[in-house]
Amino acid sequence: MSNADDRHAQRRDTDGLERYDIDTAPGDEYLGDAEVGSGLRGYVIGLGLATLLTIASFWLLGTNLIWAPGIPVALIVLAIAQMGVHLVFFLHITTGPDNTNNALALAFGVLIVVLVIGGSIWIMANLDHNLMPTNAIMNMNR
Amino acid sequence: MLGKLSWDVIPFDQPLPMIASAVVALAILGVLAWVFLAGHFPYLWREWITSVDHKRIGVMYTLLALLMLLRGFSDAVMMRSQQALAFQAPGYLPPDHFNQVFSAHGTIMIFFGAMPFVIGLMNLVVPLQLGVRDVAFPTLNSVSFWLTATGALLVNISLVIGEFARTGWLPYPPLSETAYSPGVGVDYYLWAVQIAGVGTLLTGINFVTTILKMRAPGMSYLSMSMFCWTSLAASLLIVAAFPILTATLAMLTLDRYFGFHFFTNEAGGNMLMFVNLIWAWGHPEVYILVLPAFGIFSEVISTFSSKPLFGYRSMVAATLFICIVSFMVWLHHFFTMGAGADVNAAFGIATSIIAVGTGVKIYNWMFTMYGGRIRFATPMLWSLGFMVTFVIGGMTGVLLAVPPADFLLHNSLFLVAHFHNVIIGGVLFGAFAGYTYWFPKAFGFRLHEGWGKLAFWLTLIGFYATFVPLYTVGLLGMTRRMQHFDVPAWYPWVLVAGAGMLITTAGVVAQIIQLVVSIRQRAALRDVTGDPWDGRSLEWATPSPPPVFNFAALPHVEGEEPYWSIKQRAREQNRLRDEPEYEPIEMPRNSPTGFICAFFATVMGFALIWHIWWMVALGALGAFATFVVFAWRDIPEYVIPAAEVARIDRANRSARREALATYTGPRP
Repeated sequence: MSNADDRHAQRRDTDGLERYDIDTAPGDEYLGDAEVGSGLRGYVIGLGLATLLTIASFWLLGTNLIWAPGIPVALIVLAIAQMGVHLVFFLHITTGPDNTNNALALAFGVLIVVLVIGGSIWIMANLDHNLMPTNAIMNMNR
Repeated sequence: MLGKLSWDVIPFDQPLPMIASAVVALAILGVLAWVFLAGHFPYLWREWITSVDHKRIGVMYTLLALLMLLRGFSDAVMMRSQQALAFQAPGYLPPDHFNQVFSAHGTIMIFFGAMPFVIGLMNLVVPLQLGVRDVAFPTLNSVSFWLTATGALLVNISLVIGEFARTGWLPYPPLSETAYSPGVGVDYYLWAVQIAGVGTLLTGINFVTTILKMRAPGMSYLSMSMFCWTSLAASLLIVAAFPILTATLAMLTLDRYFGFHFFTNEAGGNMLMFVNLIWAWGHPEVYILVLPAFGIFSEVISTFSSKPLFGYRSMVAATLFICIVSFMVWLHHFFTMGAGADVNAAFGIATSIIAVGTGVKIYNWMFTMYGGRIRFATPMLWSLGFMVTFVIGGMTGVLLAVPPADFLLHNSLFLVAHFHNVIIGGVLFGAFAGYTYWFPKAFGFRLHEGWGKLAFWLTLIGFYATFVPLYTVGLLGMTRRMQHFDVPAWYPWVLVAGAGMLITTAGVVAQIIQLVVSIRQRAALRDVTGDPWDGRSLEWATPSPPPVFNFAALPHVEGEEPYWSIKQRAREQNRLRDEPEYEPIEMPRNSPTGFICAFFATVMGFALIWHIWWMVALGALGAFATFVVFAWRDIPEYVIPAAEVARIDRANRSARREALATYTGPRP
């Protein structure tokens, strides 16, 4: 039995509850003998995928594989995939029960980003529409 | 060699700032001389400056806040007296100086008065209420505090060396751009707020982690105290909103230092984007301040009504509702900037809706008091004063949320009266309630009740006497930030507001006397058991002041109001719980990292303001080296032996046993 299992087991005994080690930070890993290998493997796979996606986005521009006006869409798709790879392999966001906090934090972050960026675009576009640019006023004065 | 720095930047020709800063400098030098000559420095260094104990850091935050509140208050006195003297006259503050005074007042009150006060109370109380030994990252906590202190120091240095911003507390471009503010004032603002902002962001991260990951065994989210919930919501808002502030100010910094044009008039810049972004931070900031205050009121009202908080779950829901919706209303700070009716209407409606969350809370507090045995101690008085005052402020807020009304009232003293109404009546009353409520927990003795009640009544009356006239002159058309005015109809109201300021000043003096008197009479005001108010949450389960490890054995929590149920069981069985098995406790070692980092941050900030580039490099290098040294530390923790833990806990248990034996109140 590794160290990590020991600590989890102990915690469960004293509590009588299925809880998570209070000392565990999100993404924390116990460096037991068995875990170093698997942990490293995750990072290497992540690095490989991230590199692949980066190369793909540069490479796409130089080929005729995609209809030219569709390239921004393709780049956005690749960028989102890139974010996904970072979240899964480097920030350890999973669907496991010990990840509820992380998933909620991610959802909160996405919500705020959408609200602030979406709101700003809406407001600024509205202002742009309502306020005459300076040179237009100048032209009126002439 | 010294950038823009020279002897000319010290305002020798202006007696007012020179005398003020000479007095402050003498006071600081006097205190330092006393500390060193009387040999207190090793104690201060060991027990406070390098401390990573959340309670000590909380006390230092609160002390910083109290000092900065005094500084900001003296600015307020200057503004009120200037306007009282400036009817068809120039008054005594020249426009240039007056503009710096109102800018410094806003900046100091929000960033260095209200924020450290709220964060200080969170530091002191949250880990105790969660039933844990410290925050998640104790040394980071110390770094946060010292970076905040750095920001406060830089703002105050601007009093003597150079000048402060003349732009108001939010430096709107193009006024804040180099073309219109060529001096160092805006740079002082930028670097002070940026450095303190880093500290605040680190605090936010620290508290989110602490509350989500480190609760006492058995404590579920829905058995956390209300103050922990509101602290969690405020910390989430800090983490989400402060990066927006940092990015916006960084763009303005690029404009000023490298000739970028994010917010300039020329080359495609858009100053309206600054207003938009700064309020995308600014509105959540309002709730970062007031949510913890709501938590304090919940604790105080429940304790002093001797009843559990009414509608605990609806309170949690209202808190989270406010947390999200606070990100959907920021346009109401600039209805008149030129957006169309659709945008203004959407944000106006969202603003009215956010008042529903606060309304739920107000009713919950009223129902908590209903049928309770209410004790009118000082913290409860602050809470009652808050409920009345805040409802008035909320109603003027909902009025301002109606865009057509806002077109008439914006930029007037009506607006100024509104936001002082909610910030003083909400945040400051909350902070003072928390200060009197938790003072015995922090220091082991209560504050003097008589002086506290006097301070409350003077502050409350002073507040109304100052701001009701400002509401009125606002409706009569007086705009904010006026150095002098010529309208006879405003004059009597401005004089009344000035008189109100005198009453408030008496309140401030009463509060200072309260502290002095309480320290002198501390033996009589001693809190022996650690539970002076018949409290309900876990902080009252510890001795006052709590030992460094807080709890001899981590409490096992079942259900809401964990300490109340423990206490009721003790009263029922007429004996304390069995003594726990004492074990040695590991605690984090003290570390000077925070202080040294902040020292270099001060050097770097000052050098950036004055364009002394070699000093910037020195400061950055020093701060980084400090971090590296900390990261390579060998022994992060020390052990408190079980015998020592047992000695401290047994002393407290015997005091509690005695209190239980003489207890005459109701038994379950």
